[in-house]
Amino acid sequence: MKFDLVLKGIFSAMFLASIMRISTPLILPALGGLITELAGAINIALEGIMLTSAFTGVVVSAFTQNIWLGVLAGIAAGVLFSAILAYFHLYLETDIILAGIALNIMATGGTIFLLYILTGDKGNSSTLASGMVPVVEIPFIKDIPFFGTILSGHNIFVYAAIVLTFLTYIMLYNTKFGIHLRAVGENPTAATSLGIPVRSIKFTSILISGFLASLGGLNLSMAYLSLFQREMTAGRGFIALAAVYLGGRRPWGTFLAAILFGAADALSNQFGTLDIPSQWVQMIPYVITILALVIYALRRKAQITEQTKRFQERELAKVNNNNNA
Amino acid sequence: MRKFFSNPAVREGLRVLIAVSSALLLGFIVTLFVSEDPLGAYKAFLLGPVSKFNRFGDWIEESITLIFVGLSVAIAFKANLFSMGTEGQLLLGALVSGSIALFVPLPAILRIPLAIIAAMVAGFIWGWIPGYLKAYLDANEIVSTLMLNAIALKLYDYFLIFHIKPPDAGYNSSDFFPKEGTLMSFIPNLPFLKGVYTLFSDKTNITIMLYILIIAVIAAYYLIYRTPFGYKLRMIGANIKFARYGGINTKRTIILVFAISGIFGGLAGAHLTMGIHTKLIANISVGMGFEGIVVSILARNNPLLIPFTGLAYGYLRAGANVMERASDMSREMVFVIQALIILFVTAERFLPTIQKRIEMRKENNTHMEKLAPSDGGSHEV
Amino acid sequence: MAPLVDMRSVVKVYPNGVIANNGVNFQIEKGEIHAIVGENGAGKTTLMKILYGLEQPTSGEIFIKGEKVEFKNPLDAMHEGVGMVHQNFMQVPSFTVAENIVLGHEPTERLFLDKKKSVEVTEELSKRYGLYVESDAVTETINVGMRQRIEILKILYLGAEILILDEPTAVLTPQEIKDLFKAVRVLVEQGKTIIFITHKLREVKEISDRVTVMRNGKIMGTMLTSEATRKGLARMMVGREVFLDIHKNAMKRGKNMMSIRDLSFVSDTGRPMLRDVSFNLYAGEILGIAGVEGNGQTELVEVLTGLRVPAAGWATIGEKVVTGKTPREVRMAGVAHIPEDRLTNGLAVDVSIDDNLIVDRFFEPPIRKGLLIDYEEIEKNGEDMIKEFGILTPNGQLPVSSLSGGNMQKVVVAREFSSSPKILIAAQPTRGIDVGATEFIREQLVKKRTDGAAVLLVSADLAEVMDLSDRIITMFEGEITGVFPDASTVEEEELGYYMLGVKRQSKKEMEALL
Repeated sequence: MKFDLVLKGIFSAMFLASIMRISTPLILPALGGLITELAGAINIALEGIMLTSAFTGVVVSAFTQNIWLGVLAGIAAGVLFSAILAYFHLYLETDIILAGIALNIMATGGTIFLLYILTGDKGNSSTLASGMVPVVEIPFIKDIPFFGTILSGHNIFVYAAIVLTFLTYIMLYNTKFGIHLRAVGENPTAATSLGIPVRSIKFTSILISGFLASLGGLNLSMAYLSLFQREMTAGRGFIALAAVYLGGRRPWGTFLAAILFGAADALSNQFGTLDIPSQWVQMIPYVITILALVIYALRRKAQITEQTKRFQERELAKVNNNNNA
Repeated sequence: MRKFFSNPAVREGLRVLIAVSSALLLGFIVTLFVSEDPLGAYKAFLLGPVSKFNRFGDWIEESITLIFVGLSVAIAFKANLFSMGTEGQLLLGALVSGSIALFVPLPAILRIPLAIIAAMVAGFIWGWIPGYLKAYLDANEIVSTLMLNAIALKLYDYFLIFHIKPPDAGYNSSDFFPKEGTLMSFIPNLPFLKGVYTLFSDKTNITIMLYILIIAVIAAYYLIYRTPFGYKLRMIGANIKFARYGGINTKRTIILVFAISGIFGGLAGAHLTMGIHTKLIANISVGMGFEGIVVSILARNNPLLIPFTGLAYGYLRAGANVMERASDMSREMVFVIQALIILFVTAERFLPTIQKRIEMRKENNTHMEKLAPSDGGSHEV
Repeated sequence: MAPLVDMRSVVKVYPNGVIANNGVNFQIEKGEIHAIVGENGAGKTTLMKILYGLEQPTSGEIFIKGEKVEFKNPLDAMHEGVGMVHQNFMQVPSFTVAENIVLGHEPTERLFLDKKKSVEVTEELSKRYGLYVESDAVTETINVGMRQRIEILKILYLGAEILILDEPTAVLTPQEIKDLFKAVRVLVEQGKTIIFITHKLREVKEISDRVTVMRNGKIMGTMLTSEATRKGLARMMVGREVFLDIHKNAMKRGKNMMSIRDLSFVSDTGRPMLRDVSFNLYAGEILGIAGVEGNGQTELVEVLTGLRVPAAGWATIGEKVVTGKTPREVRMAGVAHIPEDRLTNGLAVDVSIDDNLIVDRFFEPPIRKGLLIDYEEIEKNGEDMIKEFGILTPNGQLPVSSLSGGNMQKVVVAREFSSSPKILIAAQPTRGIDVGATEFIREQLVKKRTDGAAVLLVSADLAEVMDLSDRIITMFEGEITGVFPDASTVEEEELGYYMLGVKRQSKKEMEALL
């Protein structure tokens, strides 16, 4: 029956490997979102940054016939784009959400616009001979049955995502910059009182998120696919933010949450062959995120009421003792 | 002369004007570089919507959607609640009204109002959810509304693909709505109006939604500025502590604000399906919700100004469409212009307004009053 | 030997005209524990803010160890060894204790944080100065006493030699206060110098070597603590030079409008802010609560106006219980409230004057007309109020932010008074406003009282309390320490003793008079 074919498919190494590939363009911008969220400068423009870098990478690699130049250009474009966000928010005092929305609109339109100018095609860049980044086969590991397929043979961005999650963790919890960043996000008054430069830290955090999101964008156009498509980010920039919250605003949590979203996507494709509507599966991570929000809020409330109650009981006990004495 | 320029409204207007002109100028410079006929292209862009009647229709239709969405956003933003949920409310409103238009066997006179009301209810519910989460759980409304948007999209796609789309259709779209489910033109089909009627109904899709829109704008204005509910809304937006101190039930009001904002989003969806497309299609809205945010912000969240910013924004979009058909420039350039306008208009430091200066002075006053003479004294941490 | 800290002729005048420090000469010797006492508004916090670099003096000089210094910001001061422990802790809640202590100047091992070293440094400082903290505890889970020790260790880490503690015992339980004093003595043994801002005279006697009294921006005297008495200090703190000129008819006390019984409240850091507070509010009388800010008055007002729920106790108006109810319900019961912070609670500054005036009545006729609100009525209401209360503004549609402080308060007063309240609760009603508005508001309060309302006046301005009130209650540390049925017969020194906990009436004494 079809169903057990699907089950077999889900538990196959190919499928699990595909989850890694599908999740990578979520993990990378999510890390960027995490960093800005912790610094108190939420980056709504991840979507736009990804589009910008995806497009630039394709174009430059096609015109220079050099993949690495394309990658570098893509990163540069993405970081520059995020610098615009940082400048307008931190120096011209634009609300960061509005600026983010504006930049997303600019990127969506701008990339299609330039695409048309360069290729005469508004759909994709197939006429351009852009490149794909190399795939990495890890010696020894690739020969391990089952796990070999899962762990080896991915494009460089997949491995970059894992490494960068690790690096993000190290940065946030083991470097001076990271701890200052978290202080700025949580209590900027305290940070200022200790001489920590709030504005420059926020600026840097936005640039870093630009870098990470750029990698995610390049992954889309130079690894996952080998061309640029209009609006190819398909909301990943926002899913990335959801992953940050679902993951409890921590690096590995974000990583896992992003994989959850990716897995749902991959699963829904599998179910497609069964004529089970993929939409229900795709919905799951979003519903979970809302539930997570609710649970988190309820827990917070319970914590506070419990603490206050404990104090009150302690004090009332004292008062009663005094009265009886 | 100086007095003229120190009037806050004038300075605001000036700011918007400079921002828009700069953006348009930049757009023209880009066109110069890219197009073979820059003047022709830009002329098509700037004058397109008024050059032909059907183009004029496009402009008005787009603007109607934008204004509905703008109103939805304004209601929430005026209360300082950052609902991004109009996109989802729009989708569900479209889905529900489209389904009724297609499948409910009632005569037009019943089917259409039912569809519209259903869209409003769908939007109300989809707005109620994040409202409740915000009011009682203090859940971040940006995240919850974004999530609900995504869920709404999945629901829309699911129902469209698996239940509504005719089985032999090549792509994801419903049949055209039957006559009973199609909105009629806003010009009544009366003998003495025959000429006007034909003109509008042949060349445009401007339907009775226009009247509903006008009512909606007035209703939104009255709601916000002339009802007790609107008073509560504005006070919560201005200073929620003051609202509570004064006796306002903030929790209940917050929920209602989100829900009512949803009604307008639902109406936008009804307009999209029953007015413009007359069928349910995939990708019926691509980011209309966010553009509505822009329309509202540019109008400072004032319902009476939203028709103007909506029309202006819609004009840019329609102009871009014309430009694309009439020249070698692609319409997406307009997005870049729009983005620049947003950035310049919302940059508070860019030509600081008198409003900002008053604010900064007020901050100093507050600072001073807090310092003197209540110097010392132990305040709880 | 030259003093460690020498502040000469310090004057500080704020832009709104208030003279916070008026030619202050202040010296600190090395290794002493020096207490600065004074009422609210005496100038002690301003003086220390100047020493700490948070404020700049209008004129005057500061010398540290004989060298002239100029502090543009707290980091400059820290550089010279002056550190301040604030009341509002500058800490990141999710960080560990050690992380907060070294924040900003973390020890690093090449590129990375040297977490071990942070903990080592923390433990070392903690041990050396006897300030016990759990280095790895998460800051938001620990008690207030430890959080305060973090603040102290923070500035010790940065090399503070002179530690300024701003009302440190305000947030501590009695046991924690004992611990703090032990630590202070250790600090001094280790060569530090401590400056203590406080109004708790018992503690001054317990811990300090010398004490300076400030009043109205001037130093009244500096002496050895051993030679001072609490009574003497209170007398110096509280005496006043200005006599207000308020005409008051004899009080005609009416019925009991509000009964308050056994109110208790605990803050969410665990500190009891109200303890068994009980009294009655009578119609036709102004009951004044005298006390230094922070002794529970704020919480009392919040409980009585529906902004807080008490931990125990209740208040009733007639048969109706009004504690634990919403602000709307309390207002409907006939209570009006002038909040102590008009900008936070009392007004929405970006909103028009007219709209600010109707927040308590927009849902009723005549403002409400059917489903809508009537703009003409709102404007008319605004016009009437502006005229009646002398609010200086061309029209009522302008935002409140366009008004001066005094006129802003008039808006609050106009609204609250015009609702014909049976009970009026006024907290710090004339704080931070000009003389004209002050006089006007005071007159209005008296008028309300003479017309039969029950007025509860909470004010840190003792002169105001004494002149306006018919009956006075003193509060200290959340408790009522004394009741004076005839305000005209009591001296400010006497009140000072009760306000500062030096004297206390027994429960029996107070019973009949509350």
